[in-house]
Amino acid sequence: MSELRLSSIETRGVPGKKRYAMVIDLRRCIGCDACMTACKAEFDVPVGVFRTWVPYRVVGTYPNVRKHFMPRLCNHCDDPPCVRACPVGATYKVEDGGFVLQHYDRCIGCKACMASCPYNARFMLPKSRTYTDITSVVDKCTFCHHRVTQGLAPACVVTCIGRARIFGDLNDPASEVSRLVSTLPTQVLRPEEGTKPHVFYIGLDRHNSEFGRAVYSPLEVLEEDRQAFNKNHGA
Amino acid sequence: MDMLNFKISRRAFLQASAATTAAAAASPRLLRAMEVELGGKDFSPVNYTERKAIPTTCHVCNIQDGAIAYVENGRIVKLEGNPEHVSTRGRLCAKGNSGMWYTYNPDRILYPLKRVGARGEGKWKRITWDEALAEIAQKLDAAIKEDPNTVMLKWGRDRTGGAIVRFIKTLGSATMMNHTSVCESSKKIGMQPTWGPDIETPDFANTKYILNFGSNVMEAAYFHNPYVQRVAEGMADNKAKLVTFDVRLSNTAGRSDEWIPVFPGTDGAVALALGHVILRDDLQDSDFINTWTNVTVEELKDHYRQFTPEWASKLSGVPVETIERIAHEFATTKPATTYTYRGPAKHLYGAYNEKACMMLPIMTGNIEVRGGYCLPRGMGYQQPQPEPPKPAKPSWMSDHPDYPLAEHKVAHLVPFWIAEGKQKINVYFTYMDNPVYTNPGAQAVWGKMFRDEKLIPFYVSMSTVMGEETALADIILPDCMYLERWEPESMPNSLWPWLGFRQPVIKPLGETRETRIILRDIIHKLDPDGSRGMKKYWNFKDGEDYMRQQFDNVPGLKEAGGVDFLKKHGVWPIYGKLDPASGKIVDKTGRPIEPEYGLHKKELSAADMTGAVVEKNGTIMKNGKAIGVQRKGRNYVGFPTHDRIINVRVDEWAEYGFNPMPTFKQIPWHKDMKDDEMILTTYKFNVHVQSRTASVKWLAEIAHSNPAWINSETGRKLGIKTGDLVRVESKVGYLVTKAYVFEGINPKVVAIPIGCGHWEYGRLASLKLKEKGGAWGAQDDPDLKNVWWEDNGVHPNLIIPVVADPIGGSQGWFDTVVKVTKAGPNDKYGDVQASWEKHVDAFKETMRYAYTGDLHRKMHPEMASWGGPDSARHKEGGGH
Repeated sequence: MSELRLSSIETRGVPGKKRYAMVIDLRRCIGCDACMTACKAEFDVPVGVFRTWVPYRVVGTYPNVRKHFMPRLCNHCDDPPCVRACPVGATYKVEDGGFVLQHYDRCIGCKACMASCPYNARFMLPKSRTYTDITSVVDKCTFCHHRVTQGLAPACVVTCIGRARIFGDLNDPASEVSRLVSTLPTQVLRPEEGTKPHVFYIGLDRHNSEFGRAVYSPLEVLEEDRQAFNKNHGA
Repeated sequence: MDMLNFKISRRAFLQASAATTAAAAASPRLLRAMEVELGGKDFSPVNYTERKAIPTTCHVCNIQDGAIAYVENGRIVKLEGNPEHVSTRGRLCAKGNSGMWYTYNPDRILYPLKRVGARGEGKWKRITWDEALAEIAQKLDAAIKEDPNTVMLKWGRDRTGGAIVRFIKTLGSATMMNHTSVCESSKKIGMQPTWGPDIETPDFANTKYILNFGSNVMEAAYFHNPYVQRVAEGMADNKAKLVTFDVRLSNTAGRSDEWIPVFPGTDGAVALALGHVILRDDLQDSDFINTWTNVTVEELKDHYRQFTPEWASKLSGVPVETIERIAHEFATTKPATTYTYRGPAKHLYGAYNEKACMMLPIMTGNIEVRGGYCLPRGMGYQQPQPEPPKPAKPSWMSDHPDYPLAEHKVAHLVPFWIAEGKQKINVYFTYMDNPVYTNPGAQAVWGKMFRDEKLIPFYVSMSTVMGEETALADIILPDCMYLERWEPESMPNSLWPWLGFRQPVIKPLGETRETRIILRDIIHKLDPDGSRGMKKYWNFKDGEDYMRQQFDNVPGLKEAGGVDFLKKHGVWPIYGKLDPASGKIVDKTGRPIEPEYGLHKKELSAADMTGAVVEKNGTIMKNGKAIGVQRKGRNYVGFPTHDRIINVRVDEWAEYGFNPMPTFKQIPWHKDMKDDEMILTTYKFNVHVQSRTASVKWLAEIAHSNPAWINSETGRKLGIKTGDLVRVESKVGYLVTKAYVFEGINPKVVAIPIGCGHWEYGRLASLKLKEKGGAWGAQDDPDLKNVWWEDNGVHPNLIIPVVADPIGGSQGWFDTVVKVTKAGPNDKYGDVQASWEKHVDAFKETMRYAYTGDLHRKMHPEMASWGGPDSARHKEGGGH
């Protein structure tokens, strides 16, 4: 089985190629949600879907209680199951840089990629959008390909108030992400899936990481909100 | 407006997008061999072309971050922090990133409106600017003839840089009210007489220990974004410890090294007990106290002996051992700082609480040192000349004889004063204000006042949106949003002073006009030929011309190019470059810039000393003004107080029968609370300001409902679990909302955030999305079809009675005693009820604590020798 998880386009450590990665230093995440709205603006992301989002868990017993945030986004896996799942080649990986992107004109909206993603990082665009005329196809985080290829950090990284999000080339040993990944204990989400995710967490709390998909469940208080979401979403 | 309708066709878009992404995939040439830059540019994700960048200053809340607005096809599509801004360093919070939705709110008002039905009935007629101005001028003319003070202006957020005050002064009225008493005024008054400024600037990035009393700096507070950048830096890079006292698990408390829950309003007692331990164990900085304050170490030790940890523990619920331990940690870790915001200050005696907290960095000598508790650094700009004179007569309400120390005014008592006939109002202006939602009593108090045409005969709202207050107006003048106007800015939100401004990123939408133009147009209508002597104060071509009169002669900025420099950079000075590798501003050598410390230890020059006299206590007097203080043979500038040193003992307070020394007063009605009674507190979400952001879709999507936080243990006792309907009842009314039962709150506290439960403020805030958008001329947003939530929360302010700090004038937001019960069979989610009469009783009750009231003496047995209210001379209020 393990052979199936090998990918011919792995770019980690390939000489002459870039392999972009994000390090999320949870010691510095303050849960301000600035990344969420910066991303919404950057891509005119419609209400009801997110390219990046920040779930949290309250843990402990009064008065010893803490709050743990865990910013989420596409992991831009080196071996992305979504690419393999797409029947029409709409989802693809950029060899130089490692971006996992989407050809909107090829997407047939079958949602196979959404089902295959162990991180729930993909979503279907609704019919209505503010000013961007691309709808009813699957969308996702692009690692801000349009900015990074022109020398700029992703929008969520730029606005990160706590400077919890660090972005750079993992194949460049001098980059900040290389230094952080080399010198500090880091974790990735669901390593057992063999996807080789390229979002690394520093200080990840097991309350956030150990639940598998359950971690994405909304808080209890939002049960009615969740029902409203299920009822009205994508209308 | 045409640009708003611009849409690239789907086919063209898909082709462009496919072509560019495919090209990128095939051509590694696009990648550069450099670390990526942190902002300053933005590109379209569709066609990869650069978006137009215009620097400005954010104004979604009141922190004033440097921002860059990006424009594509004439539309503001993206906002970002200005990387050249020393405080902001290229980053904005969730609110700042969403600011374009103030401009593109589909329910925005884009032309003047006149009420045609009864007040608040919601019937409007579109009128021309000329009709609106003519009617206003006519009413103003009559009002001024009777008494200029019958013209009132109240603002919520005034960042016009003096234009609002100039307007009301031009009319000859002193009746101007602000918003500070429902914000942080008692913090200001706790600090100002002690060391001069009304705020501190902790050096979070370089500290080793942060003792945070009731500030939720990770979500809100002055100054959320710039401060918390440094808090994160201090904690991660400098290994600083963050200890937070709060009644609930805010994000700040939840991310602190220690969260220590306190009983509401007792932070001051804890701070005094910490001081007691420090002084008892001789851990104070004696040299600093003896040199820089108006008390000696011995006096301080004597005074603090009464504040034992046992005493504070009983009041606050904080264990004695915790107080002992934290006191030792704070005093022996250098540098250390405290930080406070509304937690200690928003109580009956909030000013005392604030001062008690402030004493900790003072007694440990952490003032104005690297990593310590520093003075704010500000910068000024000029006012266009000539300026209107001070109004001839003081105004009763702005001058509030019962609150002589509350120089930031006591605006939340206005409806009661107007109803009592303390001041007659003929014309009432509001600017960027919404007290019908934001103030205690909400619609039961302010709504009642505005609906009564005898109390408010003519009411003009300068607003962009049909808020709860604007909905009750007679005439609505459509103002511009912050991205469409000119405004000067400066805010002490880091250790480096700066000047900045707002410039229009796009032309004002529809018929909207920016504030200073509206004000000018009213004055010009009232005094068309200048014969009334008003027109001369409003002599400018446009907003830019006004900015030039404010900025073009500021020393330093003038040489840099004045307004032309700001148009390009948005801020001045530029201290260095944002380093992508560290997120810090670095100088030409690549080293992080360092602020100046020890401002009070700057020495006076020989020229300064010429003609100066040194008094016995060391104060250096010149031309009747204290300019510095002599210590150990050196002439220092000292602190900006009346005698240039820190006033631990505030003599002015004693004149009015208040304790001049650090002290604590337990809130009397908290003393004998019954078992089933709790304290109601409110708070802000990380993604909302008080009232304006509920109309911003991205923020409302993240937080749109506000269940009441209840501790698990309390929930078990009351048989309440998450999702249950609960009834929260205070002495003035009750509400029915949902419960959120968890571990993160003091068992005696119920917390309901504000920012939800709007009944006006547009279709999104009030969730009336079935109604048609664009009722007042704005373009609809198709994305609102995707709004999925059906719950917009319950607003708590209606059941919160007024409380006024007799010193600082603050509203006691966190003082309300409530009963929480499981909702009954007839209770419905969202039920809210309160009565004007009960709110009036609360008003009368709180006036009894004023220095003129009958409870003042009872609350201050230690001031038995005070001569009574008649012994104090009345002072004029000031404030801004």
